[in-house]
Amino acid sequence: MKRKEAILGYWLILPTVLLIVGLIFYPICYNLWLSLHKVNMNPFKPNTFIGLGHYKKVLTDLDFWMSFKTSIIFTVATVLGTTLLGLGVALLLNREFKGRAIVRGIILLPYVAPVISLVFGWKYLFHPVFGMANYVLVDLLHLLPKHLNWVESPQFAIYAVILFNIWRNFPFAFLMILAELQTIPVTLYEAAEVDGATAWDKFRHITLPELRYVLGALVILRTIWNFYKFDEIYLLSPSVETVPVYVYEKAFSNFNFGEGAAITTILFIFVLSFILYYVRKVLKW
Amino acid sequence: MVKRNVIGRKIGFAVLLFMVLAFVLIPFIMMITSSFKPPAEQTLFPPKVLPKKPTLEHYKGVLNPNVFPFLNYFKNSLIIALISAGIGVLIAIFGSYSFARLEYKGRGIIQRGVLLVYMFGGVLLVVPLFQIITKLGLFNTRAALIITYVVQTLPVSLYMLGNYFRTIPEAIEEAALIDGCNRLEVIYKIVLPLSAPAIVSVFIYAFMISWNEYLFASVFINSEALRTLPIGLSQLFYTQHYIWGRMMAASLLTAIPVIVLFLSIERFITGGLTFGGVKG
Repeated sequence: MKRKEAILGYWLILPTVLLIVGLIFYPICYNLWLSLHKVNMNPFKPNTFIGLGHYKKVLTDLDFWMSFKTSIIFTVATVLGTTLLGLGVALLLNREFKGRAIVRGIILLPYVAPVISLVFGWKYLFHPVFGMANYVLVDLLHLLPKHLNWVESPQFAIYAVILFNIWRNFPFAFLMILAELQTIPVTLYEAAEVDGATAWDKFRHITLPELRYVLGALVILRTIWNFYKFDEIYLLSPSVETVPVYVYEKAFSNFNFGEGAAITTILFIFVLSFILYYVRKVLKW
Repeated sequence: MVKRNVIGRKIGFAVLLFMVLAFVLIPFIMMITSSFKPPAEQTLFPPKVLPKKPTLEHYKGVLNPNVFPFLNYFKNSLIIALISAGIGVLIAIFGSYSFARLEYKGRGIIQRGVLLVYMFGGVLLVVPLFQIITKLGLFNTRAALIITYVVQTLPVSLYMLGNYFRTIPEAIEEAALIDGCNRLEVIYKIVLPLSAPAIVSVFIYAFMISWNEYLFASVFINSEALRTLPIGLSQLFYTQHYIWGRMMAASLLTAIPVIVLFLSIERFITGGLTFGGVKG
């Protein structure tokens, strides 16, 4: 009986394992192989082995390091932004009020809609000539001296891209934190109140510790996802050259697949070491 | 004094709530109202929120196949998203049942391996997958996107369904086993009916991911006839169709189906399946 169950277990998980090995693990290994070759533009012609040449080229390429720096700035800013905003909004909405379900639904909208739709909306809002953003910030509130070209100039596009990512992804943090907040027993707060704790005390000594794991999970997931985030950046402003945008252009605009493979391998190693470090040191799992 | 404090708090809460909603909604509001503005009003400065002379011309243009192949893109996205969500959910049902109820050697490792995959994807895989897809002769086919999307959504579907299956009382299944059902019959007759809402939710979630995907669709497909909505729309930006109103109309018509679907399962996603509920 036990044996029979085990065999059924293997059969049921087999399709999943085959797909994941074939389309995730094999490609990652194949990518390593590709990165050591000069990859022919025609996939049916043989590739030439060149060893670590691509890595040497990538690691000494200033553009690569610039894109790496941009990626780090983007990731740090967006992870902080989405987590803090998600936390703030979750704390705000963690109470009963009329229409809470609707408000929660509305907040999730940016996270659900296709990036391509949202990007067009933002491009319109941030248009340098007739966009609402410039009008409000410059002409109405006088917060900025002159109209900025938010999405097209490399200098300002990074701000637009970061803001867009925070706007789009904070609902994810909000959702996870809110769910966790609702599991904290009310009695903890009541006991603290009896002891004369202020709102800040309660937040620091009850809420934050209870949220530790969800915040930790959020930071690690968002860091990883945002570090290789492509569509939200490339579609809003290709001039913000993060590592993924750099890879995409190397591989699919310049058809330099070998170098593209080398960069993704570096990216992969970076992401993997981050996961391992974080899981061990910060989450102490 | 106490009462005043309560009122003050209420006002403070309302103000904060309004600010959050404004932050979330302003881009959507601008998109909706601009999609009804005639072209001359779209580029007015200072910009207006509401159109003076509302028009439906942009929606007519988007939906007219002689003007713009929106409906063809829509059909392509629909086919690909339905098939990949269907296959994905089917595989995830079996896989997550295997994780949730059956015991065998190596289950823990497989489970962790699958969860690890949740953290990869996208750009990390696009270069090798493009080479593999081309070598298999699948370049510029729907199949290429379908198998990619199935794998992309699989880890989370497994996770969500597995969590749900564990909430079904094991006693019910054991009773059926004693009555002479085998495991597959138990899945078919008991687990599936009991977890119908979870399965629908996972299906919709997988549908949504495929519907919204841009990167692989842009790399694997090169013929106009097979383009999905995200690719079709991004082309719109570089062509003679570059009219803001039309772009807003097309964007909204692309977003509305998935928003409606998602809101129908939102309660389910928030209530218990939160972790890993959605990826992006």
